[in-house]
Amino acid sequence: MAGNQALRTDKSPRSKLPIEGSGIEIRHTICAICNPFSHCVIDAYVKDGIVIKVEGNKSHPHNGGTLCSKGAASREYLYNKDRIRTPLRRKGERGSDEFEPISWEEALDVIGDRLNSIRADSGPEAVAFYVGYTKWMRPFVKRLAHSFGTPNYCTESSTCYTATKVAAQLNFGYFGPPDIKNAGCLLVWSSNPFYSNPSTVRKLLDARERGLKIIEVGPLVTPLSAHADVHLRLRPGSSGALAHGIANIIIEEGLFDREFVENWTLGFEEYRSYVRQFSPEKTEKITGVPADSIRRAARLYANTKPAALMVSASPTVHHTNGLQNHRALTALVGLTGNFDRKGGNYVVPPGWLYVPNGLVPRQTQYEQSRAWSDMAPRMAGERFPVWSRFVDEAQAMHLPFQIRSQEPYPIKAVIGFGMNYRMWPGSDFMYQSLKQLDFFVNIDLFRTDTCKLADIVLPACTSFERSELKFYQEGSVIWTTPVIEPLWESRPDTDVIFELAKRIAADDELMQKGYEANVDWILEPTGLTVEEMRKHPAGYNVDGIKMPPYEKYKKSGFPTPSGKMELASTILRDAGLDALPTYKEPMLSPVSNQALAADFPLILTTGSRLPMYIHSRTFRLPMTRGLHPDPTLDINPKDAQERGISTGDRVSLATPRTSIKVKANVTEVVPPGVINIFHGYDNPEVNTLFEPDYLDPISGFPGFKSLICQVEKVD
Amino acid sequence: MQYGFSFDLSRCSGCMACVVACMDENDIPGDRSSFRQVIKLEQGAYPLAKLAFVTLACFQCSDAPCANVCPKGAISREEESSIVRVDEALCIGCRACAMVCPYGAPRFFPGEKMKKCDFCHDRVAQGMEPACVRTCTTRALGFGTLEELSRKQGEKASIRIFKGLESTGP
Repeated sequence: MAGNQALRTDKSPRSKLPIEGSGIEIRHTICAICNPFSHCVIDAYVKDGIVIKVEGNKSHPHNGGTLCSKGAASREYLYNKDRIRTPLRRKGERGSDEFEPISWEEALDVIGDRLNSIRADSGPEAVAFYVGYTKWMRPFVKRLAHSFGTPNYCTESSTCYTATKVAAQLNFGYFGPPDIKNAGCLLVWSSNPFYSNPSTVRKLLDARERGLKIIEVGPLVTPLSAHADVHLRLRPGSSGALAHGIANIIIEEGLFDREFVENWTLGFEEYRSYVRQFSPEKTEKITGVPADSIRRAARLYANTKPAALMVSASPTVHHTNGLQNHRALTALVGLTGNFDRKGGNYVVPPGWLYVPNGLVPRQTQYEQSRAWSDMAPRMAGERFPVWSRFVDEAQAMHLPFQIRSQEPYPIKAVIGFGMNYRMWPGSDFMYQSLKQLDFFVNIDLFRTDTCKLADIVLPACTSFERSELKFYQEGSVIWTTPVIEPLWESRPDTDVIFELAKRIAADDELMQKGYEANVDWILEPTGLTVEEMRKHPAGYNVDGIKMPPYEKYKKSGFPTPSGKMELASTILRDAGLDALPTYKEPMLSPVSNQALAADFPLILTTGSRLPMYIHSRTFRLPMTRGLHPDPTLDINPKDAQERGISTGDRVSLATPRTSIKVKANVTEVVPPGVINIFHGYDNPEVNTLFEPDYLDPISGFPGFKSLICQVEKVD
Repeated sequence: MQYGFSFDLSRCSGCMACVVACMDENDIPGDRSSFRQVIKLEQGAYPLAKLAFVTLACFQCSDAPCANVCPKGAISREEESSIVRVDEALCIGCRACAMVCPYGAPRFFPGEKMKKCDFCHDRVAQGMEPACVRTCTTRALGFGTLEELSRKQGEKASIRIFKGLESTGP
C-alpha cells in the first residue's frame, strides 16, 4: 500500500517545495484520464520513488500549467486501493469475484494457448478484441487482432465520435475542428467544453473577450450559457429539425454562400425544397426553440464571417436519428461557405490517435496488417454497412447480439482492454452475454465489475508508469518517460500486446521487434524517432510542420463519390437510405409514440459531463467522489412541483424497459419536460433504462440522449 | 508585500480543479473538506436561466474575527505578507474561530488543530503561485500583490479582489 501511505504520511505541505536538498525531483508525464484532445502535461513531484504532488506543466502550450479536477486527483488514481496487483485466474463462478494470483508468464501462456485453440477450432473471427478507455494502446491492439486473423477489433468508439465522423464524411468526405482563434462567430452545438475539454477553455474565453460571437445550442444550461449571445434550448433529439430551420432562413433570406453552393454542392435544389417545410414557426413547434431566437441565431451565424462550428463527440449522435441530425447541422458549414476556410472549420489530415497537428504518421497503414478481404466478414458489417464503410472497426453494439445468436458465426472469446459492460444500452443484457463466452480476458487498472466476469484478469498501469506517444494540436509531441516504475506487478498494456504477439501473431515480423521499434515504424514519414523524442521529457514543439492550405477542395475536389459536398448523399442513396439529411423523430419520443408517452411524458437525456467525472473513471477517487457523492437526477422546478419533489428526495426514474431509484436535484439546468442524469455509476445502472437495440439504424449508436421516461417520488 | 487573490466572476466554470489541487497540495483526504470551496449559483428561470460560480477560501481578513476571538492568541496576521496564520503549538482546537468566521474557512480534522488556506505561503516565498491559482482551467483565479491585482481590476470590470473584513480603525 505504498500509495495510501504516500497520501497520509507526510502531512506538512512544507515538504513539497522542489528546492535544493528537498530530495524532490520534478518528472514529466501526461494525464491520460480523459479524451485524447485534453491530455495535459503533468509535473509530478517525486520523492523517494513516490509521487507526492502533481501540477500542470507551465511551459506546455496545451495546458499551460492547468489541470482539471480529475487530473489534479491523479495521485488517487495512481495509488488507488482498487488497483489490480497481480495477474489473476478465475476460481469461482463467473461474476463471483473469486480469483487466484498467477504469474505473468503463466497468464500469457494460458491466453496464447486458448486463443490459438479457438482459432484452430472456430476460426480467428471467433475472437473479438475490444478497447475501452483510454485509447493509447489502440493501434497496437488493432494490429494484433488483424495479425491474429480476426476482423473483430472493436472499441468504445462504437458509441463515441465515429458517428459524427461518418456524418461529416458523407457530407464532405472529411471534416475539421473549429478554428476558434480566427473565427468571428462560434456555433457550439451540444458541447460543454468547460467540462469535456477543460484544457482548451481558457483560450476560448480569451477569444470571447476579444469579441467572438457565440451561439449555443443544447437543452441544458452550461458554463458556456453565460457567454452565449443566443442560446437555443432545443428538445433533446430535435437537432436535425433545428438545423433545417436555420438552413431554411439562411436560404430564403439569401444569406448562403452562392459561389460555394453553385460550384461545390450536390443536391442543393432537392435540399432546399426539403428544408422549406421547416419554417421558423414549425421549427419552434418541433424543437421548442422560439422562432425569433432561431432567426437571430441563423442571421448571426450566416452574416458573421468567418464562422466556425464546434460539435462534441456524442451528444448529437446519441439519438436513434442521430447520424442524419448530425449531417443536417454540419451541412450549415458548407451552406455558409465556412468549410476548410480560415476561421471556419479547417481540415487537417489525421495525426496520431485522433489528434491532428499537421504531422502525418502511418497509423492506418500500421493498424491494418491484413486486408479486410483476407478476413471473415466483420461483426455487424451487414447490420450497419454505412458506418462500417467509414470506420475500420467492428460495431461493438452488436457484440452481445452475436454472442447470443452465434450468427453468422460464433464469438467465443473476448480480449478486453479496459472493457466496461455498463457502456452498453441494456447493460444487464451485455453482462449476461459476456457470461456466455468460452473465454474472456480483461486488462484493467481497477478490479471492476467487468473484470469479475473474466477468466484471466491482467493488471495494467497508468500513464505515470509507462512510455507513450502523444500529439498536441498546438504542434508539439511528447514521448513520456515513466515517472515511477509500475506499481506492484502491473505492466503497460503494450507489454501485454507485444507479449501476446509472440504467442498468437508470430508471423507478424514487425510486432516481434517490440513496442519502440513499432512506434518508430509508425512515425517514419514524420522524421520523428523515439530516440530523439526521449531527449525532451516534457515534450517539444516540432519545427517546420507544414500545415495544409485552406480550401483544398478547389484543387482536388471533395473526397466524396461526386467530388462535391453532398447535401444529397450518393452513398446513402445507394444503400437504400434517405439521401437528404431527413429529420425523423427519435424512436421513442412524446411525438413518435404518443400512446406510450402518456405514461412516460418526460424526456430522459443521459451522459452529459459533470466536471469531476468522465464515464466511470474517477468515481473511485475519494477527492472527486467527495465533490458529487450520490448519483442525482436533474429535474426542472416546474416538473418537480407537479410531482411534489424537492432536492434530495428519493425518486423513481422509469422508462418502458425498467426503473431505477435515485436522488432528485431540482434545478433550472434542465428545461421543463427534460430529465438529465450522469451515466456510469455502478448503482443505479442508468443504461439498464435503455433497450439493447435502441440504436440509430445507420450508425448503431445508442439513443442515450433521448428516451421517454417518468419520474415519481418514492417514500 | 501584501498579497491577495483575485477572481474573475465571468470566467469561472465551476470545474472544481482549485478544490482538488488544494487537497493534493495539502494532503487533505477525499472524505474531508478542501480549504477551498466552489459555490454554484443559478440565476433566472427557463428559458433564460444562467449559471455562475464563486470559489472561496480564507480571505485573510485584515480585521480577522478568528484572530480576535482565539483564546490562546494562536491566530495572527503577518503584517508583511498579510497572511493570517495559525500557530499550531498554541491552538487547542476549541473551534471558536470556526464559530465566528463569516466565510467558513477554518477546518478541523478530528483530533487536530485548526487548518486553513495560508496562500501556499511557502510556494509564494519561492516565487510560485498558490496551487489553486496554478491549476485554474479558466484563469479565473489570480494571485499577486494588492498593487498588481488593483491594476488588473482596473482593466476588467468582472475582476474582484478577494478582501475579507477590513479594520475601520487607523
